[in-house]
Amino acid sequence: MLKINNLHASVAENNIIKGLNLTINAGEVHAIMGPNGAGKSTLSYALTGRDNYQVTQGSALLDGKDLLDLEVEERASAGLFLAFQYPVEIPGVSNMEFLKASVDAQRKARDLEALTSSEFLKRAKAACKQVNLPLSFLKRGVNEGFSGGEKKRNEIMQMILLEPKLSILDESDSGLDIDALKVVAEGINSQRDGQRSFLVITHYQRLLDYIKPDYVHVLADGKIVKSGGPELALELEAQGYAWLESYDRTAQDED
Amino acid sequence: MSSWLAHTITQAETVSDWLSPKRAASLELLKNTTWPSRKTEAWKYTPINVIERANFTPDSTPATVASDIPNLNAINLVFIDGIFDAQASANQFPEGLTITSLDTADNNDWALESFTQTKPDRHFFGLINDTLATQGSIIDVSADAVIDQPIRIVQSFNSGSQSHTRIIMRVGKNARACVIEQLEGNELCLNTSFAEYQICDGATLEHYRLAMQCQQAISVGGCHFKLGHSAHLNSNLIGFGSQLSRVDMDIIHAGENSDAKLNVIYLLDGKEIFDLHSCIEHTQPNGTSEQNVRCIVADHANAIFNGRIHIHRDAQKILAEMNNRNLLMSPNAQVNTKPELEIYADDVRCAHGATMAEIDEGAMFYLQSRGISRTDAQVLLSFGFINELVDLMNNAAVAEWLRPQLRARFAAMEIR
Repeated sequence: MLKINNLHASVAENNIIKGLNLTINAGEVHAIMGPNGAGKSTLSYALTGRDNYQVTQGSALLDGKDLLDLEVEERASAGLFLAFQYPVEIPGVSNMEFLKASVDAQRKARDLEALTSSEFLKRAKAACKQVNLPLSFLKRGVNEGFSGGEKKRNEIMQMILLEPKLSILDESDSGLDIDALKVVAEGINSQRDGQRSFLVITHYQRLLDYIKPDYVHVLADGKIVKSGGPELALELEAQGYAWLESYDRTAQDED
Repeated sequence: MSSWLAHTITQAETVSDWLSPKRAASLELLKNTTWPSRKTEAWKYTPINVIERANFTPDSTPATVASDIPNLNAINLVFIDGIFDAQASANQFPEGLTITSLDTADNNDWALESFTQTKPDRHFFGLINDTLATQGSIIDVSADAVIDQPIRIVQSFNSGSQSHTRIIMRVGKNARACVIEQLEGNELCLNTSFAEYQICDGATLEHYRLAMQCQQAISVGGCHFKLGHSAHLNSNLIGFGSQLSRVDMDIIHAGENSDAKLNVIYLLDGKEIFDLHSCIEHTQPNGTSEQNVRCIVADHANAIFNGRIHIHRDAQKILAEMNNRNLLMSPNAQVNTKPELEIYADDVRCAHGATMAEIDEGAMFYLQSRGISRTDAQVLLSFGFINELVDLMNNAAVAEWLRPQLRARFAAMEIR
């Protein structure tokens, strides 16, 4: 599904991602944890193609297609989705209009027939209900005046509607109370079908109580420094990231 | 002197009705005012020589009637080429509302007194309107009356017509009303349409001016409001440009604690011009005013905004905000924006900002990351930029009617 090979990425000429390797197979859920500044958000922006996030080396293949050669919207249509850490407010553009434009664009890019308005409305309403947002949120401006939790739920609603192959969830749990966290987690779990894959970026083990990852990776200083099963998250929760420094030293010694 | 003006003055001298005593003073002023040129500050960016060059020959095609606003359920006052159409207009009014046609309203005391009281003398075409407007409406809402039905003053203008209409309205103490001025016409015509609104103590006026004349039309007009103690005004101006469109909005806070909002959208294409001069006079303390002016300019069009805020010496504790955002769609499009703040009180907050909006890159990336192409995202975001003000409109029927029209006009604009 996703194969990242020796990825190097920089922001404003600062190297942030320094040779990252990661393979996610179809149907897998991977979690990336790591301290602030490790490069977690940079990784998600480099993959989705945000301006100013320069990939200087390496490749990132989604089902064999190199994402890095594609425009931002082409990456989306290829099946990549990013649930933003800080979703953008766009007053004046209704959520409904935005969702319809997104679904229409992606279906068109995949040579699928456009959904009729009523079919789309049906799906949008169902997705809205699924993430526990009142239907009135479809009519409101995109994220306009939404609380932190509502914004995150709106991201999950988009994911449900767009049915991406690979979803990157960038701290989708931050700023959520426990109920909202459950809604977000259930939204994600509902999309697991053995085919679609997820990359969950988080600071805390908490989210992983609800979304069982197949693999947990620790990202530090632009590289994956440790990988393991779900138990690794528990270890991190107990010990923090301080031990990474010693890990680094050990790694260098081994070099 | 301009020959059009000379002709206008000759015509004005023959007007004789119950407003004549007031008209005479304006005529005197007009005779002593020179025809505005590019050297006249108020007309610096807006050439009016098209009036000189135009050949106004009424044609025989049947007059068009302005478009309906579905689900509005309004009290309609219909004017075609500046002439009141009694048949097409309402003649039954809810309790507390009195509407009289200006040409039949003999010696209406308060209207006579109000005429020219709110509209400042400095408006050149306002003076012309003073002398020539024999058609219009006198609208009186009695104290404490709540008129739920909007009053819709709809004017359509046909090829070759020249017309001058006037609205004089009083919203009595603690009363509430909603007025929609709708102007339409694409052909070469000239109209001056001025309105004076007196909003008494504690009263609320919801106001829309839908200045949707375009192409060849020449339209010069104004809305002038005087707010009493604790009076509220919520005014919306929507403009399509034409070869000459000019609107002057004056809001005079004559009582304490008064509050005014002015939201403006204009969408210009081709070689259209739309010129808005707003002037907020805070003469009393504790007032608030908020202006949001948003404009999208395409092709070779020219948008002008001159926003004046005048806070008088004793008008302390004023909150006045003025925000002008513009979006240029082509390298030849032009925006001339000028804030004019005159503040004589020392304990006030007055903020102004003018931007040539660039598309917000954060929002752009967000949309693209969902699969929307850059071009489509630009359309969504640009339309969202004006639609944000439509969303704020209290009258849902007007908002619903406007959106597709704004969208269609916007869609026709080329991004270059």
